[in-house]
Order: sequence, then structure tokens, then C-alpha cells
Amino acid sequence: MSALRNTLAALALVVGTATAHAEGADQADRIMRGQYQAVLGDCMACHTRPGGAPFAGGLPLETPFGALVPPNITPDPETGIGQWSEADFTRMMRTGIGHGGRRLYPAMPYPAYSLMTERDIADLWAYLATVEPVANRVVANQLPFPFNIRLSMLFWNLLNFTPQPFRPDPAQSAEWNRGAYLVQGPAHCGSCHTPKTMLGADDTSQALRGASLQGWFAPDITGDPQTGIGGWSQEELVTYLRTGVNAHSVASGPMREAVENSTSRMNDADLRAIAVYLRSLRPAASPVPQPVAASEPRMRAGAAVYAANCAACHGAEGTGARQLFPALAGNPLVRQANAETLVHLVLAGSQGAHTPGAPTTPAMPSLAWRLNDAQVADVLTYVRNSWGNAAAPVLPEQVAKQRGGGDGMPLWPWIAGAAMVVCLVLLGLLAVCRRRRRPLAA
Amino acid sequence: MTSPPIRSGSRRELLASVAVTSLLASASEAGARGYSGSLPFRTYSADPPRPVLPGAWVFFTQDEAVAVEAIVDRLVPADDLSVGGKEAGCAVFIDRQLAGPYGHSSRLYTQGPFLPGLPTQGYQGEMNPAQRYRAGLAAIDAHLKREKGRGFAALPAVEQDAFLTRLEKGEVTLPPGSGGAQGFFNLVLQNTMEGFFSDPVYGGNRGMASWRMLGFPGTRYDYRDWVSKHNQRYPLPPVSIMGAPEWSAR
Ligand code: HEC
Ligand code: HEC
Ligand code: HEC
Repeated sequence: MSALRNTLAALALVVGTATAHAEGADQADRIMRGQYQAVLGDCMACHTRPGGAPFAGGLPLETPFGALVPPNITPDPETGIGQWSEADFTRMMRTGIGHGGRRLYPAMPYPAYSLMTERDIADLWAYLATVEPVANRVVANQLPFPFNIRLSMLFWNLLNFTPQPFRPDPAQSAEWNRGAYLVQGPAHCGSCHTPKTMLGADDTSQALRGASLQGWFAPDITGDPQTGIGGWSQEELVTYLRTGVNAHSVASGPMREAVENSTSRMNDADLRAIAVYLRSLRPAASPVPQPVAASEPRMRAGAAVYAANCAACHGAEGTGARQLFPALAGNPLVRQANAETLVHLVLAGSQGAHTPGAPTTPAMPSLAWRLNDAQVADVLTYVRNSWGNAAAPVLPEQVAKQRGGGDGMPLWPWIAGAAMVVCLVLLGLLAVCRRRRRPLAA
Repeated sequence: MTSPPIRSGSRRELLASVAVTSLLASASEAGARGYSGSLPFRTYSADPPRPVLPGAWVFFTQDEAVAVEAIVDRLVPADDLSVGGKEAGCAVFIDRQLAGPYGHSSRLYTQGPFLPGLPTQGYQGEMNPAQRYRAGLAAIDAHLKREKGRGFAALPAVEQDAFLTRLEKGEVTLPPGSGGAQGFFNLVLQNTMEGFFSDPVYGGNRGMASWRMLGFPGTRYDYRDWVSKHNQRYPLPPVSIMGAPEWSAR
């Protein structure tokens, strides 16, 4: 009896593997492609805690209104997305409406992901289904009232977001279009680098021209020669994205994470495509300001601070040391209209990206203990206006505001937009109530 | 009364075994601690010294402070090269040092046996520096009041110098626990020099006076641009751990 049962079981197994094999190759390819989509979309960055199980939930994204926690997106049926269908997932990626009609906050960058192709989203889903399920309950929405009203996202989406697929530009090369697709779609570079409108949506007229992330400034990455990467060669830009370091700059803070988790794992063809696209963007050039005169007292103070605190690494003439200490002369990062990143680097210190191509991780020490607000402001004013650089001076008040701040989690400015919509709705409701009451009072 | 001589053989054995143990320790440490990924780094990490703030005396009594200020001002007299020890803050430096771990020998082995050491071994007694100052200054004050009718600070400079010279030669009797006259003199001289030449963050060397006198550049640490410039004066003014006046425009 038992022998027969064993044989049957063995037979079943053989049949089973045979059929699995038939569609297995296809499925395996799909999963591999999906894994690459997860790299392009950098899902890990938000949905995984440092050292935690992959995709089992991330660190809170602090907003001025409270915390939003990237939830568990492993296939665990209780606490993850194990009960989602592929259709649920596709709809979420396209519209921000999740399982059961729940409207997501755009801190989950679905406005960018909505440009992804049908196939890329399907592959991503195939991959996510293979991730190790982990039981970890995450309460995503930790915003206080009224910001926690998910329905407000209905209004936000009505005002700010029309789901539509990526539309290639037939006048451009296939490589350019691939780059545009990656930057605007899965790689969502604009969610950090594009300034936001009053309502917190991407200001598309200023796409990739630089935006504040509360404590960091994601710089202009268009081909602008003054503030953008116009002075970088194709190869230099590719090297930066692949390794986090090039002759001009070292990726740090939020960009360090983007490089380590995402761009350093992209294939070379995609990196080249991104570089071709970014370098082709030539918006109206930023005005080049008059440099602050070297004779101004704050410039002289800045020079003294620089000589004693920075020159040892960045060089007396701001030339740096290749790949290790970035040059500050002619560095567009130094010339951004907004100096938040610079203030952050000097106050908190920073460590460069760690990638197979740049394993050294040189670091810059924190100088908050040694320099007061005016000294930080003056040394940065000096750096921004020496050796051919020219940019607005930094004021001590700006430094005071950033001092002591933590690592500056990206502010998701669209939350501000959401808040405004909520307020508008509340105001509207109030107005309606008033009107209703008036005839009674009369 | 003398301690038994240590057999050189056993001592060498001891040293050898220490070497082996520490070698083993460091080897196993190297094996256990391997870093992969990026080097350890934390934002905002720094361990700066706590700056000495001007203000009331912390260790000295008012009388002691007056005496010490007078002493440091004779050890480093004001002249056309620099300000004197008092104006340079040497007494403040010593006061804060005596109130801290140095004053209490908190990092030294301070249990017995207390045996007279060789001069090269320095002070071997029971007291810590704070206690030596307290006892030494009291003895000096008593001695001078008995002999001259007034304390050190009230003497004219010539008599102050003469007294310090006698102290240095051991011609005054101070309580043996404090290290004797010579020992006490050397202690104060040592601390005064430390106060005069150390970083102003510790309360002495006010305005980097001694560094300006010497042309010492302070806590700068990059001289690559000057390595090949021979026989030229280094042009930059000194910098302290806490900065320099040139850093402030406002
Ligand atoms: C910038 C951070 C960020 C990135 C990058 C990101 N997410 Fe999210 N994601 C969030 C946040 C925050 C939420 C919760 C939003 C809410 O509850 O309104 C979320 C929600 C989700 C949800 C809904 C889960 C649920 O239980 O409702 C899914 C599914 C999801 N993300 C998948 C992904 C995938 C796949 C990627 C990569 C392509 C990705 N996310 C990238 C921040 C991010
Ligand atoms: C001990 C060496 C060291 C010192 C001192 C130092 N830095 Fe840095 N700095 C670095 C390293 C290494 C990086 C790259 C790491 C990173 O960006 O995370 C860097 C990055 C920068 C950047 C960003 C450049 C880019 O394109 O990535 C700026 C701006 C900067 N430093 C300014 C300063 C200023 C101003 C001072 C003095 C107040 C200073 N640094 C002192 C080592 C140093
Ligand atoms: C999470 C926010 C974030 C995302 C996503 C992001 N960046 Fe950045 N990026 C930054 C910040 C912040 C900096 C400046 C910090 C630094 O390196 O000093 C930066 C710097 C850069 C620089 C260097 C510019 C210079 O002048 O030194 C380039 C190039 C760049 N990003 C390209 C990209 C591309 C391409 C993408 C999309 C694949 C992307 N970034 C996605 C935040 C981000």
C-alpha cells in the first residue's frame, strides 16, 4: 500500500516538474526582469529598514505633519500584500489607488511609476510575488487629523495628476527616449530633483532644476552650464551614477542612497541613456550672478575659516584631490541657488557613496562644534564666490535654521499640498454650513 | 627597607609573555573585527574638549588665586615679547586643571607603597596635584607671613624673585608630602609653562599670546603649499582648537 502511494507521489512530482519546466524559463526571465525593475524603481530604499528583511517595511518618512511609514510589501497575506491581485498592483502603480480602493499618499512615488509600461509593471509584480514573505505589521499612515484623511488624496489627484503612459518623442533617438523614460518613470529622479508647485506636485516647467529636501538640496541636473551638469562629459556622468564618484563630485545623503541601491546596479546601456537624456536638457540658462567681492569682510572671514578647516582636504585653491576630495572650484553643486546641502555637509559631515567602483568611502568631518553660524555662512559664501564660482551669499540665519537638525529626511512637499486641499475642503464645508444657517438666523 | 631586586631573567620573561599575550590579543582582534562595506561613520560625530570659560575660581580660594597669579607672573614676566603669565591666563589654566582629572590623579595609580623614587621618576608621594597645591601654598603663605609679615603677592617683585629662587634651590621647608620645596616649585613651573603654551581652549595662552610670540601656527594641519618655500616666514596667523579672531567678520 505504502509503496504504491510513494510511487504515485513520485510520479506526480515528475509530472509537476515537467510542466513547471515548460513555462519555467519564461517565468524565470520575467522574475529577473522584475527584479531589475525594482532596482530601477529603488523600491528597497523606502520599503526596507537598514539591516531589515527586504521589502518588509521601511523607516518612517518624516514630514512636518507627521510620519508616513513605507509598508510591508512582501507577499505575506496578513501584513504584506499577499492578498493583492496583479490588477490591484497595476492600478496602484498607475493611479495611486491600492487594494480595497485605499488612496495612497504620493510619498509613494506613483505619479512617476504611472509612466511605466504594462510589461515592466507586470514583471515587477512577478518578482515581488517571489520575495520571502515576512510578517511585519506596519501602520503606514501616522499623520494626525486632518492630514490622515486619505480621501483628501482624491482631490489632490484631481488637481495634480492625470495618469498617462510615457509618450516617446519620435524626433529623438531610441537611447534618448529610453533615458527620458527611466528618469521620468521608474527611476523617479524628479521626485527629488524637480521643484514642487504650491500644491506639492512636480513643477514640470522646472523639471530637474533642483529642489529642497529639508536639509538637503537635490541640485539642478539639467545640462545648464552654471548650476547643472552641462560641464560634465557623458562618461563623467555615467561614472558618477555607476560609482557615486567622479572627477567633479561625490554622491552623499539621499543621492548616496539612490546610487548605492539603484543607479550603481543599473546596466551600462541604461546609465548611458540617462546621461544622454540629462545632458540634452538645455532649459533657459540660469543667470550667472556677480561674485561677492573678495574684499568684503565676510569673504575675508570665510577665507580664514577655509584655510584652517577645509584647505587640507579640498586644497587651498579648491582643486580637491581626484576621486577622494571633490574639487570645489567649478563645481555646480557649490553654485546652486539653494545652499542647504552645503550647510548640511559642513554641520553634520558626510560620507561618500560605497559602491564596487568606489569602495573607499572618504568622509568629511562634522564641524558644527567648531564653527558658529556666521562662520559656516561665511566659509560657504567664500567657497561659492571664489576660484571662478559665483552664487548668492549664505546668511547666518540659514545656518541657524539647519543647525542641530537630524539627517533631514526628505520632506515630501506634496503633503503640504494635501494639507492645503484638506483645508480648502474644510473651508468649503464651513462655507456651506454658514450659508445653510444664514436663512435660519435671518 | 629597600625592595627586593627583581631578577633580570624573570623580568625579561615577564616582558616576553606580555608581548606574546598582546600579540595574541591583537591578532585575534584583527581576526574578529573585519569591516565590509563602508567605513564606520556617523553624522555630527565629534569629541571636542570642553572650552574653559572665564569666571569664578573653581579650585583655588581667593587667597590662593592671588598668590598663584603673582607666582605665574614672575615665572613668565611681562616684557616686550609677550604679556605675563597672569594676563595669559596661566592661573586660570592651573585652577581648571586642578579641579579636573589631572588635579585628582584620576588616571594614575595612586595606592601605596609610597617609596622615595629617583629624581627622574618624578613625584612618588601620596598626594595628588590638587592636594600638593593646597598644602604647598598654605606652607608658603605661613612661611612668608612669619618671615616678612605678608603673603607672596604683597611682596615687591625683587623679593618675590628671591623667594622663588630659594624655593627652587630647596632652601625653604615645605611639608614633605607635597614633594618638598624643589618638587613644589617644579610642579608650579611645569604647570605654568603648560598654561602658557597649550591651546587657549584650556584657559591659558590667552589670545594665543605665546604662539604669536613664537610664530607657532597652532592647530593648522596642512603645510603642503609651504614645504618647498625655504627660508620664508609662514604668513598665516595661529589658530586655536576653538578658532581664531580672523574667522569672524561681524
Ligand atoms: C520614496 C519612498 C518610496 C519608494 C521609492 C517606493 N515606495 Fe511604495 N510606498 C511608500 C509609502 C510612504 C507608502 C505608503 C503610502 C500610503 O500608505 O499612503 C507606500 C506604499 C506602497 C504600496 C501599498 C502597500 C499597502 O499596503 O497599501 C505598495 C504595493 C508599494 N508601495 C510598492 C512599491 C514598489 C513596488 C516600489 C518600487 C517600484 C515602491 N513602492 C517604491 C514609499 C515608497
Ligand atoms: C577631512 C577632509 C575634509 C575636510 C576637512 C573638509 N571636507 Fe568637504 N568633503 C570631504 C569629502 C571626503 C567629501 C565627499 C564626501 C561626501 O560628499 O559625502 C566632501 C564633500 C564636500 C562638498 C560636496 C562636494 C561634492 O560635489 O560632492 C562640499 C561643498 C564640501 N565638502 C565643503 C567643505 C568645506 C566648506 C569644508 C570646510 C568648512 C570642508 N568641506 C572640509 C572631505 C573634507
Ligand atoms: C532621494 C532623493 C534623490 C533621488 C531619488 C535622486 N537624487 Fe540625485 N541627488 C540628490 C541630492 C540630495 C543630491 C546632492 C547631494 C550630494 O551628492 O552632495 C543629488 C545629486 C545628484 C547629482 C550630482 C549633481 C552635482 O552637481 O554634483 C546627479 C548627477 C544626480 N543627483 C542625478 C540623479 C539621477 C539621474 C537620479 C535618478 C536616477 C537621481 N539623481 C535621483 C537627491 C536625489
